Amino acid sequence: MAEKKIAVRSQDPNQRRVLDSATRQRRLTRQLDALEKDNFQDDPHASLPQLVKRLPQFDESNESGKRRKKTRGDHFKQRFRKNFQTLLEEEDLSVSEGPNYLTACAEPSKFPQRHFCAVCGFPSNYTCVSCGARYCCVRCLGTHHETRCLKWTV
Amino acid sequence: MSTLVLDNGAYFAKIGYSHEKVSVIPNCQFRSKTSRLKTFTANQLDEIKDPSGLFYILPFQKGYLVNWDVQRKVWDHLFGKEMFKVDFADTNIVITEPYFNFSSIQESMNEILFEDYQFQSVLRVNAGSLSAHRYFHENNSELCCIVVDSGFSSTHIVPYCRGRKMKEGICRINVGGKLLTNHLKEIISYRQLHVMDETYVINQVKEDVCYVSQDFYKDMEISQLKGEDNTVVTEYVLPDFSSIKKGFCKPREEMNFTGKYKTGEQVLRLTNERFAVPEMLFHPSDIGIQEMGIPEALVHSINNMPEEMQPHFYKNIVLTGGSALFPGYRDRVYKEVRALAPVEYEVSVVLPLNPVCYPWEGGKLLAENPDFEELVVTREDYEENGHYVCEEKFDV
Repeated sequence: MAEKKIAVRSQDPNQRRVLDSATRQRRLTRQLDALEKDNFQDDPHASLPQLVKRLPQFDESNESGKRRKKTRGDHFKQRFRKNFQTLLEEEDLSVSEGPNYLTACAEPSKFPQRHFCAVCGFPSNYTCVSCGARYCCVRCLGTHHETRCLKWTV
Repeated sequence: MSTLVLDNGAYFAKIGYSHEKVSVIPNCQFRSKTSRLKTFTANQLDEIKDPSGLFYILPFQKGYLVNWDVQRKVWDHLFGKEMFKVDFADTNIVITEPYFNFSSIQESMNEILFEDYQFQSVLRVNAGSLSAHRYFHENNSELCCIVVDSGFSSTHIVPYCRGRKMKEGICRINVGGKLLTNHLKEIISYRQLHVMDETYVINQVKEDVCYVSQDFYKDMEISQLKGEDNTVVTEYVLPDFSSIKKGFCKPREEMNFTGKYKTGEQVLRLTNERFAVPEMLFHPSDIGIQEMGIPEALVHSINNMPEEMQPHFYKNIVLTGGSALFPGYRDRVYKEVRALAPVEYEVSVVLPLNPVCYPWEGGKLLAENPDFEELVVTREDYEENGHYVCEEKFDV
């Protein structure tokens, strides 16, 4: 589905793909979830073999040493048990009465949302036709088209 | 019989005996690309010579303790020989936990504290209760206060009346220090330099350079000016950990307004990011999070309280948490709440000298309180009755 990226001016307006509002909402949710991440890189210890640790155990035979040569990441996930989402679902808060974690969440604001240019951060007035990102001036629109518009589409 | 007070935060753990001073220690493990074999725990961070691309392993997720393995390792380090040398059988512990903590997490914590570590007695509270206790200790005449805890994972607004929290008024905004740092990383990565891996460095940038503006649109206009008129723009020199150990802002005289860099150092040029990032605490909708900001949520929370108490809440607003350290934060909160509150009520916003350690100081006062013995659950109690006694006694 990826279309070739060519310069903006030579593109016929009819050919540019336009995302519908559901896709835009999905993209926005993806971006917001990405902000909750702890780390954006991989575990630097993930690919290290565990061989060094297995040697001193004389009672265990070598086969179990070889079998247990999983990466540290797997070991962590096994003992990680439950993540936040599972715990929240376990609590089953929709049936309980009274204030709880879900009701305590703040409601949407009464004030209108302010929009900022995705490129430079100053207040924006215009929206990109294809993907819905905001921009403030034509120069920022050009930068947006060259770098980010419709890249990594859901 | 000593008491250890531990404010178990998602980013920093504030820990200390009640008769000594508090230490602020990162509550996580670190891994570095350069030293491949070792995982650093808590304050071993100082031993890392090259904190670039530092990998964080946090036991908390969204403000709740999910990863007990990491937390246990950090606690082992803190309670062990190198740090506090805790004599478990002879120590009480005051430990904080988040609001509306899940029962499975509460039970795990009970088990670990009583059976694993075997403390003599345990008191589990919310961090805000300790702040409120401290506040009431100083202002004896006040009956109610409302605590705004802007921490790492989220911001909680909790009203307290006569020392008890009012559950109907608790409001949680899902914007915290982590979100601000991640957002700053994203915009710098897009506009200037790829820093998505550098949480530690950008956190330092955020703390050094960001401030809360009193007049958002005016600051926006100023930051768009060119040359000397632009008082907002700063250049921040990034550390390279060989010659420059810690990043710093370049003083105004040396700043290059024409935009050409001579030296080999890496410099970030920050204009509107300086105040747009903390603005997210006041307007989460700027980034697309459909929630109220701090001042609105404060007013909303107070409006959920009974009429007679409302003026008392407006008079006693306490700001705590790491994000309260931004310059201009207190004045901005006051200005916005004053604008939204009814005109006949008096509004007063208090920012303590040390917002990060304020709950810890409350815990210290609580430990010295003569009623302390009645609040805790001792190990014998727990062994007889199990989780039930903790559920009853601790009102979380």
